Order: sequence, then structure tokens, then C-alpha cells
Amino acid sequence: MSWSVRPARKLLTALGILAAAGTLVAGCTSNSEPQPAADAPVNAGSSNDTPGEKVVIGFSGPQADHGWLGAINSTAQAEAKKYPDIDLRVAEGTNDASLQISQIETFINDHVDAIVLLPIDGAALTEVARKAMNAGIPVVNVDREFSSDFASRVTILGDNYGMGISAGTYACGLVRSKNLGNPVIAEIAGIDSLPLTQDRSRGFADALRACGQTVDNRVAAQFTVESGEAAASNLLQAAPRIDIIWNHDDDQGVGVKAAFDNANRHEFAFIGGAGSKNAMRWIQEGSMEATVLYPPTQAADGIRLARLLVQNKGLSDLVQVEVPRRIVLNAPVVTKSNVDKYLPLGFES
Amino acid sequence: MDTGSGKLLSMRGIVKLFPGVRALDGIDLDVTAGEVHCLLGQNGAGKSTLIKVLSGAHQPDGGEIAWRGEPVRLPDPQAAMRLGIATIYQELDLVDGLSVAENIFLGHEHAHLGFSRRTEANRAAAALLKRLGHPEIRPTTDVGGLPAAGKQIVSMARALSHDVRLIIMDEPSAVLDQEEVQRLFRVIRDLTEEEVAVVYISHRLDEIRQIGTRVTVLKDGRTVATGLPVADTPTSEIIRLMTGRAIEYVFPPRGETTYAEPLLEVENLSRDGEFSGVSFQVRPGEVVGLAGLVGSGRSEILETIYGARAPGTGTVKVGGKRVRPGGVGAAVAAGIGLCPEERKSQALFLGEPVSRNIIAASLGRFARGGFVRLGAERRSAENLVRELDIRPSDVDREARTLSGGNQQKVVLARWLLRGCKVLLLDEPTRGVDIGARSEIYALIHRLAAGGLAVVVVSSEIEEVIGLSTRVLVISDGAVVLDGPAESIDEHRVLDLVLEGEVA
Amino acid sequence: MTTHETTAKPGSPPAPKPASRVTTVLSGPIGRNLGLVVALALLCVIGIVTAGDRFGSIENLTTILRLASVIGVVSVGMTFVIIGGGIDLSVGAIVALSSVWATTLATQKLATDFHWIVMVFTAILVGAGCGLVNGILIAYGRITAFIATLAMLAAARGLAEIISQKKTQIVRERGFVDFFGGDVAGIPVLVIIFALVAVTGWIVLNRTTFGRRTIAVGGNAEAARLAGMKVKRHTALLYVLLGVACGIAAVMLMARTTAGTSTHGSLYELDAIAAVVIGGTLLSGGRGTIVGTVFGVLIFTTLTNVFTLNNLDTSTQAVAKGAIIVVAVLIQRRFATRERT
Repeated sequence: MSWSVRPARKLLTALGILAAAGTLVAGCTSNSEPQPAADAPVNAGSSNDTPGEKVVIGFSGPQADHGWLGAINSTAQAEAKKYPDIDLRVAEGTNDASLQISQIETFINDHVDAIVLLPIDGAALTEVARKAMNAGIPVVNVDREFSSDFASRVTILGDNYGMGISAGTYACGLVRSKNLGNPVIAEIAGIDSLPLTQDRSRGFADALRACGQTVDNRVAAQFTVESGEAAASNLLQAAPRIDIIWNHDDDQGVGVKAAFDNANRHEFAFIGGAGSKNAMRWIQEGSMEATVLYPPTQAADGIRLARLLVQNKGLSDLVQVEVPRRIVLNAPVVTKSNVDKYLPLGFES
Repeated sequence: MDTGSGKLLSMRGIVKLFPGVRALDGIDLDVTAGEVHCLLGQNGAGKSTLIKVLSGAHQPDGGEIAWRGEPVRLPDPQAAMRLGIATIYQELDLVDGLSVAENIFLGHEHAHLGFSRRTEANRAAAALLKRLGHPEIRPTTDVGGLPAAGKQIVSMARALSHDVRLIIMDEPSAVLDQEEVQRLFRVIRDLTEEEVAVVYISHRLDEIRQIGTRVTVLKDGRTVATGLPVADTPTSEIIRLMTGRAIEYVFPPRGETTYAEPLLEVENLSRDGEFSGVSFQVRPGEVVGLAGLVGSGRSEILETIYGARAPGTGTVKVGGKRVRPGGVGAAVAAGIGLCPEERKSQALFLGEPVSRNIIAASLGRFARGGFVRLGAERRSAENLVRELDIRPSDVDREARTLSGGNQQKVVLARWLLRGCKVLLLDEPTRGVDIGARSEIYALIHRLAAGGLAVVVVSSEIEEVIGLSTRVLVISDGAVVLDGPAESIDEHRVLDLVLEGEVA
Repeated sequence: MTTHETTAKPGSPPAPKPASRVTTVLSGPIGRNLGLVVALALLCVIGIVTAGDRFGSIENLTTILRLASVIGVVSVGMTFVIIGGGIDLSVGAIVALSSVWATTLATQKLATDFHWIVMVFTAILVGAGCGLVNGILIAYGRITAFIATLAMLAAARGLAEIISQKKTQIVRERGFVDFFGGDVAGIPVLVIIFALVAVTGWIVLNRTTFGRRTIAVGGNAEAARLAGMKVKRHTALLYVLLGVACGIAAVMLMARTTAGTSTHGSLYELDAIAAVVIGGTLLSGGRGTIVGTVFGVLIFTTLTNVFTLNNLDTSTQAVAKGAIIVVAVLIQRRFATRERT
């Protein structure tokens, strides 16, 4: 037998070395590049940014198990740091709705001034949010909507359907500008069972219909790099010629792009989604046409709005003196011409 | 033996074949209502197979079963249950996580629209347990928490929960103490008064004296005596029937006694609760037989020498060198080989071809750089198959398709190929057809003549004496006699072995 | 000991009937995998009928093979563990951890300074290390394989998330990507690796003592022990072997996706076990084939491909996958039982 005692022993030794190396590696493996210098907040010529009374804000969001959610958390905390009058209390990210409920209850008991909440499940957190409102604590609802209007003072949402619309509208523009006769349009969706994926696909299809186009080939991946690569590889075989591809998610986009490079297929315009730093770099390099933003800044905006609410200020650019009840973020298209402006918003996937 | 109207069950010429072996080879059995019919036989005689046929778990390949004079078929256990035949197996088939009452009525629960009626079931269970003389077992307790005796009672209550006419008990006393056995006997007597028949299986002859009405003795899948009235049959006769031979075997002439240096030396070997102070030596060319009843410690001694069990104290030496204790690898490296008792589960790779089974202990020798030399493997296997006359002589055939005798030869071939010096044989002819036994005997002698030290364990005293040059009698984990085989006869061994066993 | 004279005494037990011609054919490698061959051929026919040249093209063929190769390498390793009487639920997590560890800034820096081979070794060593932990827990710690590897599944993926901080780590070593992403005479390097692993697996299983011991240990561990085999050490080695396979798979996946992340290898355990089982390997151990496993992997990959070519959604695909598992196992068993009687 060729694998006798000795190799096993050697393996052990090797493993020891590896473990030692591992500690080392883990220690100095920071993949996050230095954050852009914390600029002073920019505001459209009002006194809103001048420090006011002390504001205690409780923040709770889901466990950051992928790039976008990680960015949600980190931008929220970075934003709070810019304001000396904000005292941010961050609850440990979780994927357990009942745990998140108890976190909110703790905030209520601590009498925080405002709560910024990205619920794991909008419906499940509605009741406790209403309890906070009844206790006189304004709640800012981020990204996933509560089932009752009484549960929040402000709701700030990204726009999944709008993402699809933006991507579709941009695709229509390409069809016109490039004068494509009978374009082949493909779509690489995320996890198909999620409502947000369905919203994005619906928006895309609706916008395409406006210029008389349809999705010719559609595949679904799992928001992971690997599934993106596999789905894209098969898609390329399914359609020998493609003019436009919209990929829902820049996290899986890393794999999608790898598949394009492997197959050496670049005849089409590649449009992304969400707006990761990787995607923006590709746009700068010219290997990606555009990406549709789904900003990971909603929670950061939520923090700012919570501060304004407590300090009784309005949005300075609005005539209205109070913070609006509902804000839906735009899903802008980032292209080579405007990528520099959006790069700071990009998140590491 | 026909007792006319009372005849409940009649089995005629029952045959059951397993791949390569005739487990039952024409069994006859008559059971009368209200009697306790004892079923006797050595391990492997076919008792378990017979009761599985009777309880519908196995389908016979031949023969007839009549129930109250009508021919019947028992395609599954439910069919037997419907006739009123209940079986209490040795490995009690209870569900530990369910309560006593739930176990008793498992499969025919008291239920209404799918909801179990617990109170009703508990009451009925309590009544059954009282009838069995064990009102102290509470129907609501978990079966898992009961002692073995309690579980036995629950199994019986389950049998009685059906309208039962015949209860088969497979060694019920094995897990019970003296007093519990007596209580069990009272229950059995009550049952027989209600005209329920009991088929009772046990090794303990004194129990059979106490409770039995008639006795049937099985051997090698055949009925050697059936329906003997217990009262008129002396114990010695029963023992003779159990251990004696259905046909005469020809034992090869014993080899010359040698005076060479001992090859295997066992000194003061002990294991807690199994055996103690076992010492003996085996010279090359010698066959040493260990005689003793099941549970006397004989198999444990073999497995300890082989390193499959760690010894409490004592040493084993091969060719004067001490073998590191408690490791099979060390024993094999020292030149010891074992043909274990349970050939199929302990020795053979049933789904693998004969050649691979033979090579299994010598893989290293048939490899170059980790690669098996297929040609050499095949040639050696073919040589051994020819030499030991393994039939069919096809080394590619799966081991499971061979008969018991040929399977045993495959295991022997494995150790021959390995080139071992000491061969330990546990029940070498268990499950081997009668015709093939003489061949195995001759083979063992040939191996000894070639210079091996052989140790044989067998339940058959005649086999031990006929095969060995020297005999060790084991009783209760101790060597009670060590002497040359010529000077020992069967009765002497029986007396020693049964001391304390027969009242 | 083989010098005794032959003393043949003819005719005691009845010799079993010789195998008929049909059973001889069916018991060959083709017959044993006939169900799988039929299933794969059927899929190909469907592919050609519905998608024509798009399915039959060389590019599509290499795409299928390339997609099959990563899970294929894991499945070959899994075949050994399952034949040896075990199971490993942690393969996907090990792939993830290996890929992450091999793409950290530190490892990549080392690779830049030295050679990209550093990343390959790192991945394989991490895989082997995880396998060793599994093996020791199972063989010497006497923890059920199911439980021990379930624990590894959680722990390895967790560690991968900690190390990567849940970020996708891009492989910046062009040399690495170019080598593994390239091809030799039109055959992608990934496919060549898969072929090498499969052929090596076949040889090890069928021609070496290691393979023999694997079958023996899985078929009857007690008999193997009593025949003097080192059952525990062998069991542990099987998990190390699978760990190495996972490390290789991680390298291949890094090349395919140009990234290492903690989300790599998700659900590999189920895909690999499914491929092994429809390949005719007994889940209880002691019997199995590498050829069957390779077929199993190809069937699943081809299925996905055919579905995508026809623009069908993932839900329908999942239903078909379930149906194929059942049908293939049923066909397989039919031939297996026929072979035995």
C-alpha cells in the first residue's frame, strides 16, 4: 500500500505548519480596502448638519451574509460617525425574527430617541415597531416594508421593480442607438423564488415591452459566484449570439463575467445590478456596459432621517418642513460617463 | 404420537434453503393443545429458522404445515397472528420509546377515528399484566426503563393481547434469574390449563424437566427425535441426541504426537467475567480441542488469543516470542489466523469474488507499489481453490453463492495463503453440510501435519474428541481438564461440562 | 504452505449453475451501468432534437464537461468514502474554505512573490486537513460520520466566512487563471484534471490494495478487522482522500469563477451523493463504481444544459432531476438483481 503510516505523519506535520500559517493569514487578511476619507457631510445649504441636541438611535438589521447587506451595515455606522451628536446603538445582526423583536424591545426599554430598522421579515416586525411608535419613539423602516402604516414614521425603500425598469429602459436605449434589428436579449436572474427577483424581472419585461422587445433567454442563479458562472456558461451555449445581457446581481456577476471570459464571448452589452465596486471597476475598464444601482445606503439615509426627526428638522431641499413619510430611492444606471460619481457608493461584494 | 382431537399444529418435512446451505432439511413437529413442547438443539441446529417459518417470517421451500387439521400457508407474520400463533423472540422486539400499554397493543391499538384511547388501552394492559402475575408493571411506564425480565413479560402480554392458541418462546429464561423463571413457569402452567400450547426453546435441561411435556430434538436441520415424553426420557438420552451424530463421520487418524518446541503458548490468560487462568501449549502438528457449552468462555478465549479482545492478564507467545496483546494486527503479524464462529458476518466479504476473499489477509504480498498484481492474485487463488477442492472452482464467483463447507474452505485458504503458523478454528463445521464435514476434518489434519499448531472450538463433543490430539475441557471460564484425546471419552467430558448444569 | 498434495474428492455439494451468456454481458462494465448509459443517451437525444446544433456543438460539449468537472472531482472522492461505508456532508463547506484560504490577500501575495502553485497547495492542504479532522473524529473518536461531517459542514463554512469577511476574493494571479482556465489541444484544463482524477480513482479502486481495503472495510468491517486490516486508519485515510479531492475542486472552481468565496460549493454534498448513488454505489458501502459516478455527474450536468438551451425554468428542472434520480436507481436495481439471479 503506497499510503502507509509515513505520509499520514507527514500530513500531520504539514497541517501543523498550515495551521500556524492560517493564524497568520487570518490576522492580516483584511480584504476591505481603506474606506474613502470620512468627508464632512454634504448638505444643500442649510443648517441641518450643524450639531444639535444629542440623539440616541437604535439600529437593527439582518445578519450581513452577503456583500450588499454588509455594505448596508457599514455605511450606516460610518454615517453615524460623521455626526458628533449621534449616539448609535447597533444590535448584533441576526437572521432570527424573534431575536430581532427582542432587540427592538430592548431599545424601547432603554428609551432610545429613534429606531432605524431593516427587518428580517417586514410583517413579523410590524407589531413591535408599532409598540415603539406608541411609546413615542419614531421608527424608520428600511428596505423591507412593514404591513401597517402605523408602525413607522418614515419608510425608505429601494426599488426592485424600478431596477428592472431602469435596466430595461437602458436596454431599449441601446437597441435604438446601436440600431439593432432583431436583438437577442438575455437575463440572468437571482434566486427565482424570492419576490424581489420576480419584481426585478417584471420591471425588466415591462420596460422592454415599451420598445417592442422581449427577453429571449432567461436563466436563474443563486446570488453566488459559482452559480452565476454555471448559469452564464449554459446561457452562452443556449444563445450563440446575444446583444444585451442583464444580470440581476453584481455578487453573482463575478462568476457571470468569468464565464464570459472563459468562453471569450463579449459581443453583447453586459448590464449588471446592485452596484458593487467590482462592477464599477469593470465599467471603468470598459468590460461592462452599465449597472443598475440598488443602493446599499438606505440604512445610512435612515440614520440621517432619524436624526432630523428627533431634532425636529425637515429635508432642506423640500418646502415641506417635515421629513416625508415615504421615500423610494431611484435605481439609477451607472455608466462609464457617471461612474466616478457613484464609485463611493459601490460596495465590496 | 397422534393425540387425536387435541392436535393443534402439525409440520411435515419442512425444508428451508439459504444460499449454499440447507438450514432445515425435513423437520417434523406436532404440537398438541395445552402442552409445553420443548425444542432442543445445538446452536445452528435450525431452531431459529424453524420458529421463523412457524411465525410466518420465513417461507419454507418444502413441506406442509397443518393447523387444527387444515393445511395452511403463512405468507407473513400477520397470517400467523390471525391463526393465533404468537412468537416471543430472543431479541425482544419492543419499542423502547413507547409505554408498556402502547407496546402491548402495537399494531392493533385501541383507537377511535385515529385517536388512541389511552385509558381503555391502559386498563386492558393492566388486566393482561395481572393475569401474567406481574401487576406491579405499570402500563404507562416507558418500556425502555424496564429490566430484561419486565420486557419479557410485556412481550408475553403482547402475545396474549391477541386471541392466542400457540406461543413460541425463544430462550425466555436466558435473561431471567431463578425466581423470575419460576414465575414464568407459573404463567406457562396457567396458560396450558386454558388449552394454550407452548413451544419452549431452551438450553437448560433442568428447565425442560420442570416444565416440558414433550421434547423434539433438532440437529443439522433435521429432526433426530420428536414428541418424546419428557417424563419417560432420561436426561442422558436427551444429551446424547443433542450432541451425538445423526450419521457416523470418519475422522482421519490422529497424527503422531510431536515433541517439538511449542508453537503457541498461552499463559494465565484471563478476562473479567469471561474466563480466568487459562494456560496451554500447542506444538506444531498438534490439534488442541476446547470443549465446553455455549457461554463457557471458549470462543472468548480464542478471540483473546487472536487479539480481537484485550486480555485482563496473561500472555500469548508464538514461537517463543510474545505477541503484543489486544491487537489483531499484531496477532496476524505473529502468524496467528482465525476462522471465526460467524463465518458470514465475521470472515467473509459476501459480495466479493472468491479470489478477493482468499487474498484478503495477504494483500500486501500481492502488491507492487500499492498495485495489486492481478495475475499473481488469480494464480494463487486458483491454486488454492484446486488444492482445497473448493467447488465450484470459479474464483470469480461471489462468496455468498458458495455452500457453508466451501465458504469455510475459502476462509482456511485465506490463512494458508498468508502462511500462518497458528490456526484458531471456532466451530469449523457450523452450517456445513453433513457430507462436507469429513472433507473439512481431513483438511484440518493435513494442515496440522504440515506443521501448524491448530486450536479447535466446537459445541460437538464428539467432534472435539475425534479431531484433536489433546482436549481441554472448559467450564465456567476455567480449564477443568487437559489431556490427550485418546484417554478421554464423550461421557467424561459431558459429565465435566454439565457439572452444575443438570440438577 | 501451498505444497500439499491435491486430494480432490468429487461431487459432494451441488455445483451452482454456470452463469448464462446474457448475465455475463450484463455483468460487464456496460451492463452494470446500462441504466445510466440509457439515461444519458436519452438526454442527448432530447438535447439534439430540441436544440439541434446548439446542443451538439463542440463548444457546448466542452461547456458541459467543464461544468461537470468540479462536482465530478468531489463525487469521485465521495465514491470512495461511500464504498468504504461512510458519508461526508461537509464537502461543499470544505471546497468553500479551501477556496477562501487559497485566495486571501496573504496567500495571493505569497503566490505573487513565489509562484501561483502556492495557491494550489494551500487549497489542497486545507482540504486534506479538514478531511483528516473528519477522519480522526469518525475513525478514532467514534462519532457517526453523519454527525461529524455535519459539524464540519457548519464549522468550515463559518471559518470561510470569518476569513473572507463574507466578501468575494478575486483571484488576481493571471498565471493561475490562465493555466487552469486554458486548454490543451482544445480540451479545457479543468476537463483534463477531472479525467485524470477519475482515471486515477478507477485505478486506485480496482487495481490497488488501497481500493481492495476500501471495498473490504465498507462491505464487512468486522471481517476486515479479523483479517488483520487496519480498519480505523483506512477509514480516516478515506476522508483525507476526499478532503484532497475537495481541495482540487476548490482550485478548479477558483479558476472557473476567478474568485474564492464562502458561498462556493453550496449543496455539493447533495449533488455528489446523488451522483454517486445513481451511479450504482451502495449507500451502505462495499460496492460501487467510479464509472457509474462519472455517468451520474454527466447526467445531471447535461440535464441542466438541455433545460437551459430550451429556456425552461429552474423549477421544472428540479422536478426532472428528482424524477431522474428515482428512475435511474430503479433501472439500476433491475439490472443488479437480474445479474445476481
